Amino acid sequence: MAQEINLRRLVIKSFHVNSVEWGEHNDVTPDGKMTVSRELLDTLMEENKDIIEKIDIQIIQPGDHDRWTNTMMDIIPVSTKVLGILGEGITHTITGVYFMMTGVDVDGVQTYEFGSSEGNLKDKLFLNKAGTPGDNDVIISFDFLFKSHMGQDMNACTRAHGACDKFIQSYRDKLKKFKGDLCTTRNTYYDTVRPGKKRVVIIKQVAGQGAMYDTHLFGKEPSGTEGSKSIIHMGNMPVVVTPNEYRDGIIRSMQ
Amino acid sequence: MGIGPSTKETSLHHFRDPLLEVVSSDPEIDLMGIIIVGTPDAGEDKLLVGTRAAIWAECMRADGAIVSSDGWGNSDVDYTNTVYQLGIRGIPVTGLNFSGTMAQFVVTNEYLDAIVDINKNPEGIESENVGENAVDALDARKALAMLKIKMRKKEQQG
Repeated sequence: MAQEINLRRLVIKSFHVNSVEWGEHNDVTPDGKMTVSRELLDTLMEENKDIIEKIDIQIIQPGDHDRWTNTMMDIIPVSTKVLGILGEGITHTITGVYFMMTGVDVDGVQTYEFGSSEGNLKDKLFLNKAGTPGDNDVIISFDFLFKSHMGQDMNACTRAHGACDKFIQSYRDKLKKFKGDLCTTRNTYYDTVRPGKKRVVIIKQVAGQGAMYDTHLFGKEPSGTEGSKSIIHMGNMPVVVTPNEYRDGIIRSMQ
Repeated sequence: MGIGPSTKETSLHHFRDPLLEVVSSDPEIDLMGIIIVGTPDAGEDKLLVGTRAAIWAECMRADGAIVSSDGWGNSDVDYTNTVYQLGIRGIPVTGLNFSGTMAQFVVTNEYLDAIVDINKNPEGIESENVGENAVDALDARKALAMLKIKMRKKEQQG
């Protein structure tokens, strides 16, 4: 029997956040405390004033889901590269809190294509799935009020994702500096060749038709938009990635 | 939010994707890679990109493929073609797709015989509730189990 061959290693170190509160600045510490501030919003608004009327941030504590939500554009983990590029080296990620990006325009039109998820959050968001927060997780709601028709415009939606990503980057920059041995859990993954075994390929068909139905790849940071490429701009052509690249957040879901 | 909030794969979903975890951790499978393919607007392009994905799989000498889909309806055109293109190339194929009671394939072909319906809503509908009908580990295990059977069958048939 041929030996398995490990091509490259990816270590994902998770740091669990226990408390999320309002604070003077955006901050997160290895002992599990996160603070959220609105101080960055002025800059983000200034950069996007032609498309966005207002950005609202809410901290949604576990169980506090009996509230209105606009349609959910994405749920995003906070992860950052510490060593190497996407797919290898070391990644730090935060567990216990996730960003939820939502949007509507000033005319009340939800930021959706076919099918939107606005309504009471406790009904509209199924928890404990791979792509959704768990019962005990905090949600940071990042809600965009777009100018008229801008919530249906591909460029405007992409820029909104960029604005949200910039906000998340302020946490990534802190998380990058955490001492690795303070992590809560550590997972090691290999891109592995198993000679002689059945060779299987996964084909993931992803969104690629326009605003709110786009998929970005190859961001500089895990699940990030900076430096990322739209699959629409790549002609929706198939792209091959390694398992480790995939699990390191090479996709940012822009739908 | 694209077509089908209940099947939507968020960035968090991709980060901890159950399909990838199930396939990559199986010691009997040599996972070669993940082909990510878009869903263009125009009909001709839909057929082009899915065919290119199948050609990738053929050139990689894949013994089998699992095709998953984010969304349903219009994107089923892309999906059924990709499965067909794999099928006619002799590559055993299974997949994951939302059907429920409202989204069965409009166009079918003989290679669509092992597609797991990822519906979890009791009425089989697109509920527009985020996460409700998304792919989970059980769906992925079913698709992989069926693929193993199909690959074995092909081997036995020579």
